[in-house]
Amino acid sequence: MSRLSPGARRILYALAGTAAVLLVGALLHPGFASWSSLRVMLVVASFTGFVAAGQMLVVLVGGIDLSIPWVLNGAAIVLTTTSLGQTSRAPLAIVLALGVGALVGLGNGVGVAWLGVPAVVMTLGMNGVMQGLTLGLSKGLTCASCGSYAPSPLRGLFSGGLPAQLLLWAGVGVFMTVLLTLTTFGRRVYAVGVNPRAAFLSGVGVRGVTVALYTCSGVFAALAGIALVAYGGQPSLGLGDPYLFESIAAVVVGGVSILGGRGHYLGVIAGSLTLVAVTTFLAAQRVPEYGRLIIYGLVILAILFAYGREKAHD
Amino acid sequence: MAPAPPRSGSETFAVRASGVDRAFGGVQALRDASFAARPGEIHALAGENGAGKSTLIKILCGLIKPDQGTVEILGTEVSRVVDPATRRRMGVATAFQELSLLPDLTVAENLLLQAPPRGRLGLVRRGRLAPVAAEVLRHYGVDDIDPRATAADLSVAQRQVVELVRVLAGEPRVVILDEPTAALPDRQVEWLAGHMRRLRDEGSCVIFTSHRWREIEALADQVTVFRNGTRVATRERLSEAEAVTLMSGRSFAGAYPEITTEPTAESALRVTGLHGGRLRGVDLDLRRGEILGVGGLAGQGQRDLFLTLFGAQRAAAGTITVDGRTVTVRSPKDAIRAGVGIAYVPEDRKAEGLFLPLSIRDNIAAATLSRRATAGFVNRRAERLAVTSIVDRLRIGAGRSTSRAADTLSGGNQQKVVMARWLLTDARILLLYDVTRGVDAATKHDIYELVATLAAQGRAILYHSSETEEIAHLCHRVLVLREGRVAAELAGPVGDAERIVAASIKEGQDA
Amino acid sequence: MRETLRRVSLGYLVLAATAVAYLVVYTSRLGRFPTSFDYLSILNTTLPLVFVAIGQSLVVLTGGIDLSVGGVVSLCVAVTAATASVPWLVVVLALGTACGALNGLVVAYGRIAPILTTLATLSIFMGLALRVLPVPGGSIPPSVRLVLTNPGTPTGLGWLGLAVAGWLVLRRTRFGMRVYAVGSDESSARAVGVPAAAVKLKVYALSGFCSALAAVFYVSTTTAGDANAGTPFILTSIASVVVGGVAFTGGRGSALGAVAGAVALTLVIDILFFAGIDPLYQSLFQGLFLVVAVLLGTVAGLVARRRRSS
Repeated sequence: MSRLSPGARRILYALAGTAAVLLVGALLHPGFASWSSLRVMLVVASFTGFVAAGQMLVVLVGGIDLSIPWVLNGAAIVLTTTSLGQTSRAPLAIVLALGVGALVGLGNGVGVAWLGVPAVVMTLGMNGVMQGLTLGLSKGLTCASCGSYAPSPLRGLFSGGLPAQLLLWAGVGVFMTVLLTLTTFGRRVYAVGVNPRAAFLSGVGVRGVTVALYTCSGVFAALAGIALVAYGGQPSLGLGDPYLFESIAAVVVGGVSILGGRGHYLGVIAGSLTLVAVTTFLAAQRVPEYGRLIIYGLVILAILFAYGREKAHD
Repeated sequence: MAPAPPRSGSETFAVRASGVDRAFGGVQALRDASFAARPGEIHALAGENGAGKSTLIKILCGLIKPDQGTVEILGTEVSRVVDPATRRRMGVATAFQELSLLPDLTVAENLLLQAPPRGRLGLVRRGRLAPVAAEVLRHYGVDDIDPRATAADLSVAQRQVVELVRVLAGEPRVVILDEPTAALPDRQVEWLAGHMRRLRDEGSCVIFTSHRWREIEALADQVTVFRNGTRVATRERLSEAEAVTLMSGRSFAGAYPEITTEPTAESALRVTGLHGGRLRGVDLDLRRGEILGVGGLAGQGQRDLFLTLFGAQRAAAGTITVDGRTVTVRSPKDAIRAGVGIAYVPEDRKAEGLFLPLSIRDNIAAATLSRRATAGFVNRRAERLAVTSIVDRLRIGAGRSTSRAADTLSGGNQQKVVMARWLLTDARILLLYDVTRGVDAATKHDIYELVATLAAQGRAILYHSSETEEIAHLCHRVLVLREGRVAAELAGPVGDAERIVAASIKEGQDA
Repeated sequence: MRETLRRVSLGYLVLAATAVAYLVVYTSRLGRFPTSFDYLSILNTTLPLVFVAIGQSLVVLTGGIDLSVGGVVSLCVAVTAATASVPWLVVVLALGTACGALNGLVVAYGRIAPILTTLATLSIFMGLALRVLPVPGGSIPPSVRLVLTNPGTPTGLGWLGLAVAGWLVLRRTRFGMRVYAVGSDESSARAVGVPAAAVKLKVYALSGFCSALAAVFYVSTTTAGDANAGTPFILTSIASVVVGGVAFTGGRGSALGAVAGAVALTLVIDILFFAGIDPLYQSLFQGLFLVVAVLLGTVAGLVARRRRSS
């Protein structure tokens, strides 16, 4: 173990966590780890995986995105209200929904990088703005087109033995890994995350990188919104609410340092899977909603104690 | 508060540490270190940067725990007590090198944080803070600092004075001063020396570190020399030559390489009327193959000059010409660009240079990423080749893998990593800002040689150092900055650092 | 201190501006000045936020953040409403303090980033609140209502005064000075002998106490409980603190500014109401208010720095 880098070790811990939860589940509930059950878990985990991809990118540069819930919800509603359930309008609707996410992310990035607004404040404010806009414009989801469903090709993402949604998630995984490990952009992201001043003095466009990352986070939140509405058929209000916590939790469980500069998407995938496995397990144990919330919090605290601690004072 | 006379045999030492080990990451800062100082003496701690002085001080004042060994203060064993507050109650007061003033608090709040004036009900009388602080300052002979000023708004020297008054005001029995004079002008150095002697005469133990040998000679009753994390000697008298030998483990002579090559007549970098930050119209002409020193007292605009030329700070006015072409440098990115080719090596490698948890390779490649990339993808083979060759050339880390994290390297090797990053840019103009700070003697020597070689290859080098000796010996020509202007130009090698110091403080323009 | 004055005055400036806007909108809509009833209702609806904002500003002053205020308020609202008895109010206050102390322990001694800690405990406290009060309901003894948020006489004014006085006293304790010291530079504060961990523990505990107070006042105003009642306070308490000019990096600002920010934020909602804007847009304006206020602060800071350096 000592030969592994701390980063690789954290990914292993996250994967071990997933395996452990699955094992316990399988022992207590026959069929917990069957393919049909696993398939559902993977699909549900993919939503967390999408938002966590964006969250991870901003966390890598020491930021945080609290605007995910209503960007996700807004994008989901944009998708159904512009597509009106018609296949021919689906491409336009998807572009629009992703565009909303990109725009909000861009706004967050500009606020944080150029105007010097603390990330917590900027993204929290933006979440409020998106919530107000979404509720107001859709008249509390009572507008004429608000009852529309997602176009059927999108809903097809989830059918079949190996749902296309999972291939999409795999694609996101490849994209994130390639972006962060093989490109100059990825190198710059880690440099900015570890030491922004040194990165700036090394000719890295710190602001540009930051804006790009927040924009990506917005796009990923929108992507999750599209996927969720495709999964459920119709959007609802508060659709995105659980995903703020989920995204941050997946990032933390996946071994990404909240202080920036450290972590890999592979870990985040494992983190998302662990979270969903825990949720599924709790559901199988018939633990009510409140119990899930409490146990979720405790699990995160335990993981933070395991490897989220800041260095001792030196 | 007069110190009590020694009670027992064990209290003949005010401070005693023995067998102390302490490591940071992969770096062993202290190795079986010992140190002892008596009440009623001024004890200087000497050693090069990185010799372990600061670590020892942090252990003595309870900021960090030794990995091994014992620490006794005034006869009480405190090896396991890591708490500055407890030390304070025992009568230990410390002035830190990295200033410990709280930037958002006023001078008065900083001075009286632990013992504010209180009224009835035990509430702090906020209105009384400033008057009481003013009295404290006056008591210690300081009358030019407004107790209502916010600490962040003070000059570095003023902050240092407040920090020292804070320490003195406790009338401590053990006083630890880490580089107390580094930021002080001469007048205040005298002021501080007076107080150190007074405390000594009253029976306190005064421990201090300094880079200025004159001060150690003038003040210290005892000198302890540290090298590579261990004590190598404790003496009453020590000549500078002996001290340098002890500190560096090599002889005094031949510390600087002979500068044999002459600069060419070709101008590489011409600057006229540069304003910005503290700069008030700097003109300079740096030629190819030249090492141009930038000296002067601390804070006369040297840093602003380097940062502005590199585009890290905005120029308010002035023109910069590189190879005869006027260039606009709005960011470091512009400066690094091939057509401009300026590189800046910062003094504070931890804050401004390194990506500590990242690999040596990532650190070295950071400024030239796009040069070895196709369509945004890093060409890893080319990167490995480039990094390996420069690592070999600079002899970094003695054959260690370049995928190791930079924080496992020693200070000297870390500085070389930063230098390597900038050499990879093939910049023809190098701005070296105090690059030997906190570097061991062997690395210093390597850096001097490297600078000489680079100049011989025709690169133009602007060189600043906080050690005026270096500028005096290493540079073809020296510009002395004062109040943001070039106050004097000395033909080099100057040889005698005193001439640069003299030009730094002489009134009037004689350039 | 000049810096502090400037930052605080921004909070008061924003409050003054929103107050004027409120008067203008109100009078132009209704053709008369607001009555004492209007002022009283503003006062009573503001009080919970005022308390949470004071707690939040203490935490932010040390350079931290408390997202769990939403959970603590929810939990305390649930317990207050579910028990509906006076003696239980003491338990509620102790419970809130304990929740805050838990945050403090994890942050100060567990050395875990405040935002992560309080996000995790937010989930725990929300879960507990849901356990106590699965469906909205409950009540409050009328006597409590008469004393805390009397709809007829401005008893709330007394409580507001008490809150402000509490802050002024706190500011004048050594603990108060230490809060600023820790927020200004934690390692320096430690080096000069400030027990930083203990200070942080107390600050989070105080924030929990403030949230519990807020919960009691909330139930007293609304006369019923809801396990999700606390959620909006996360956004609004942070907004109040930011609008009030408390620096997010810690060490600068005052809880009084946050109180001004809290009142301003409540007025904004009333303005929207009287201006006839659909309440669904409420969080849009709260979010905008937050972002614009922080931008104003940044611009003011830039101007001040320019002026100082030239």
